[in-house]
Amino acid sequence: CEGDGSAVARNKHHQDAVGIGDPQKFAGLAAPARFSLGDRVRVRNLPVMFYTRTPEYVRGATGTIAEVAYESPAPEDESWAREDARPEWFYIVRFNQTELWDSYTGPAHDSLQTELPERWLEPA
Amino acid sequence: MPDHDHDHDHARTVKPMVEEITDFEVLEIALRELCIEKGLFTAEQHRHLTEYAENIGPTAAARLVAKAWVDPDFKAAALADPIAACKQVGVDWLEPTGFGTPSDFVAFHILEDTPAVHHVIVCSLCSCYPRPILGNSPEWYRTPNYRRRIVRWPRQVLSEFGLELGEDVEVRVEDSNQKHRFMVMPMRPAGTEGWTEDQLAEIITRDCLIGVALPRPGVSRNVITKTRPANNPVAGSGAPS
Repeated sequence: CEGDGSAVARNKHHQDAVGIGDPQKFAGLAAPARFSLGDRVRVRNLPVMFYTRTPEYVRGATGTIAEVAYESPAPEDESWAREDARPEWFYIVRFNQTELWDSYTGPAHDSLQTELPERWLEPA
Repeated sequence: MPDHDHDHDHARTVKPMVEEITDFEVLEIALRELCIEKGLFTAEQHRHLTEYAENIGPTAAARLVAKAWVDPDFKAAALADPIAACKQVGVDWLEPTGFGTPSDFVAFHILEDTPAVHHVIVCSLCSCYPRPILGNSPEWYRTPNYRRRIVRWPRQVLSEFGLELGEDVEVRVEDSNQKHRFMVMPMRPAGTEGWTEDQLAEIITRDCLIGVALPRPGVSRNVITKTRPANNPVAGSGAPS
């Protein structure tokens, strides 16, 4: 069963991304970014049913936008193949370790960065 | 003629390739053959991806850092556009599919260490790793132990790797939870003045690029961990490191 594959639904991702990559294929599809470099943000405590990539350890914590990263569907949608989900901006957020762990024993400037989709963030 | 009146050496009789086959191997064969039979992928594609995975390694990443150490213009370019800089060391992040690998994506950052900041990478959710430029991840990187502890007790975990950092240095853990992949660009150590790019690349080990070690003159291998042998190792792959 050979063919050109253009009508095969599972080839869509390849066709959209070939030559540019993922997440490049989502560029320009999100609403304008709500946050910019240096903004203080708090991680929302959204309900998590079945899947997320926002670690528990950052929920409710306040950090700083270290980079406005790229546009992509959130993993909560992408993992269920909801390819009609609207892409959103992702951000690399920097947290002080003392903000994340009650009894952090290292110096106060130690930090942790992780990447989060916009839905998880609110202004601090 | 009696049964054993022939000229052969029992000790050298060809044995089966494997003594026993595990459940994992039975299921791997079943899944692969079904996928090929149903046209989800072809045997040729399977081989193509396997060959890609066997040809990646940390050499290109070490070369990139060594080039950056000797060439400030390349370093600035690499930090500004890491995907483009990787092409100069032979790594095209769009390989092997034309849109990148399905699990490593095309979003790469180089984390530059300074006298004030030391970076270390982890994927607390699984084992995300910059495979196209750094090869396959070490076994310990995938363990729940490393993933659980490095985010919470980074200095203690680094000290177990033999890396003690002063309190004047900010330790920054980078958790690769989405599509970005990260690699550490360590500082060039003292005692390497006048070294060639080749000499420098030798001491930039995989561990340095993860951030659990610092490059040191005379040290050209990773931290020695107990290597657990596979039942049926990939032929010619050498020690899994």
